[in-house]
Amino acid sequence: MTDPLVLCIALPLVGAMLVTALPRWSVRLGIVSALATAGAAVALTAAVWQQGTLHLILGGWDAQLAIALRADGLATALVLMANLVGLGISVYATGYFHDRLRVRSFWPLWLLLWAALNGLFLAGDLFNLYVMLELLGIAAAALGALTGNRDAVAANLRYLLVGLLGSISYLLGVALLYTAHGTLDLGLLAQRIAAAPELFAVNAAAMALMVAGLALKAALFPLHFWLPPAHANAPAPVSAALSALVVKAAFYLILRLWLDLFWPITGMAAAMLPALLGAVAVLWGSWRALRAERLKLLAAYSTVAQIGYLFLFLPLLTATPPGPARDDLLAALLLMAVTHGFAKAGFFLAAGLVQTNAGHDRIDDLGGTAQRLPATTFAIALSGSALIGLPPSGSFIGKWLLMQGAIATGQWWWVIVVTTGSLLASAYVFRVLSRAFGLEPTPLKFITDARAEVPALTLALISVAVLGLASGPLWTLLGLSAAGSGTGGGV
Amino acid sequence: MTSMTRARRAARSAERNRDLSLLVAVLLALLGAALTVVYFMALQAGAAPRLADLAYERLPGTGVQNPVTAVLLNYRAYDTLMELAVLLAALLGIWSLGPAAPGFQRSGAVLAGMVSWVVPLLIVTGGYLLWVGGYAPGGAFQAGALLGAAGVIVRLAGDPRAGLPGEAAQRWLLVAGVLVFTLVGLGLMVFGAGFLTYPPKIAKWLILAIEMAATVAIGVALAAAYVGGRPPGPQARPTAEDEDALSATEPAAENTPAPSP
Repeated sequence: MTDPLVLCIALPLVGAMLVTALPRWSVRLGIVSALATAGAAVALTAAVWQQGTLHLILGGWDAQLAIALRADGLATALVLMANLVGLGISVYATGYFHDRLRVRSFWPLWLLLWAALNGLFLAGDLFNLYVMLELLGIAAAALGALTGNRDAVAANLRYLLVGLLGSISYLLGVALLYTAHGTLDLGLLAQRIAAAPELFAVNAAAMALMVAGLALKAALFPLHFWLPPAHANAPAPVSAALSALVVKAAFYLILRLWLDLFWPITGMAAAMLPALLGAVAVLWGSWRALRAERLKLLAAYSTVAQIGYLFLFLPLLTATPPGPARDDLLAALLLMAVTHGFAKAGFFLAAGLVQTNAGHDRIDDLGGTAQRLPATTFAIALSGSALIGLPPSGSFIGKWLLMQGAIATGQWWWVIVVTTGSLLASAYVFRVLSRAFGLEPTPLKFITDARAEVPALTLALISVAVLGLASGPLWTLLGLSAAGSGTGGGV
Repeated sequence: MTSMTRARRAARSAERNRDLSLLVAVLLALLGAALTVVYFMALQAGAAPRLADLAYERLPGTGVQNPVTAVLLNYRAYDTLMELAVLLAALLGIWSLGPAAPGFQRSGAVLAGMVSWVVPLLIVTGGYLLWVGGYAPGGAFQAGALLGAAGVIVRLAGDPRAGLPGEAAQRWLLVAGVLVFTLVGLGLMVFGAGFLTYPPKIAKWLILAIEMAATVAIGVALAAAYVGGRPPGPQARPTAEDEDALSATEPAAENTPAPSP
């Protein structure tokens, strides 16, 4: 018997070992591992689709003693997104790195990062999550420094140290919870926290430590300072992975803790703080993206803004009673996270192609890119429209439901933030596009470099077309009420 | 005049820095105090049944008699597997940054004599700790740390490769821990026991196999991390990349004869 839950983590891990041991074969082994892992993720999605939430206690011991793996709708949707994006990045990377040493360094670290991502999404144990965070942070910082230039190494050393600080803060919270409740299993711990209101101070302190540490890793304003230089200086496939997946993993963990673990002790006041910071992140990140001189820096600041949107959902979820309205909000949150994952990965891959082709990525000097690289420019435009939230992209539905929820709960001020952020986003996307078109004649060939352009284009297309026009299954995957599905399809 | 204002400005900014660090120290002390209070409150709770009792109770089925080893390699083996991957990721990160610095000067007779005594002792002690981990404090991490220390000593005594084999062999030794661990887990899953679910009868031998591989991997990773970069090539077999590294570190003019005018 084989379990896709385990394979999602074990396959990239074995792949990482093989590419480490056989550096000559790293590209071939790497792409095989990427395909196998993505296959396992699809199998996992199919299993969750049919059977509902999967739960597995490793080692056959009591849940308290051992480590549990768990795949519910939320985790599965993110795993599927991460693995499809990962596959796209892998195909792109086969053509991106030419230096033999870079190739040999990239593949093992990338597959380890992938294993850590899947492990983090599927973990059901607080300490295991810490181990995954460490693996993710170390692999991400090492990959980010792969260009080897001074800026990249400095930015990623800072990223590594910031990440360590975040992990330690998280670990302190875990230690407090373990001392008070005597278990690390998420399910058991949730019951015990709900059953022990007299331990409010301990729970609240643990929550503050853990959420603060993770907010540092998720780059929530004003803790985003490390992100733009680290993401903008990394090699293109790595930037895509960092911006689309790694930051998202930290946010996923905050959401998981908030909804599953600390739900009994979070009130409106607790939810307001991250949401306010998220609102500032939306405005500040979009503004800086508009002012950025380089394409990759623009994309990095846009990530700061897009992470901000996700935090706006917390007070809405708190204020909405369980029911179809809350289900819609949860699905909208997931839809925005997944859409941003695909769109930002596509954007960074395309930006990397522009950079290698033109030798720079200064936005003001991009004239004629649309003629030289039509498919790449198209990918940038597509993913840009998903970043703005134009219909039919997934983020259009996400933002729509977000604003609907804000008005329904009387928190109208978030609507202003969302509309201003979207306006700024359209400004920075159109600024790039207006520069990219020159006066040269139209090209003869749409695709110039299939191995690099097809992944970028596919990821961008998924974010715009697939997620927007067919978001209904997301509701089913989340196991939510059919009423939500009707609303989602109708929007 | 300008130098005086500059000095005054520097003094003022130094003062401001001192004030700032004082403020940070006070805030951190307050945070520490608050956390200590919260920690004691958590301890007072004490209602939760201690996990340690349960860990002792289940010990007979784990294949080992030392509860710490049981936690590391049986109850929470998956964590340990991932910790090994973290160690490997850290080393690969070090390797990705560039070649190792040249080694130290060859040791003199006295140091060399001591090294030839201490290193075998460390290796034997490592093996002992690995075996003893089954029923007393010890295990793969301790044994691996000793092997790593042996590598550090060899490197300090002048061997640029810290006594490790060439790069190809080093790579296999490095991945041995995670590879054996994962393959054992997957094998158990294929044969129906579940990932990393050891049948009690063979648990001891599976754990021993994993621990041996892990010891080697940890030792090699620690020693290679101390070397601090991609391993220097074998004595007289420079590959293209080593030549690149060499020409980057040495001024090229020294080796090539100057062209005659």
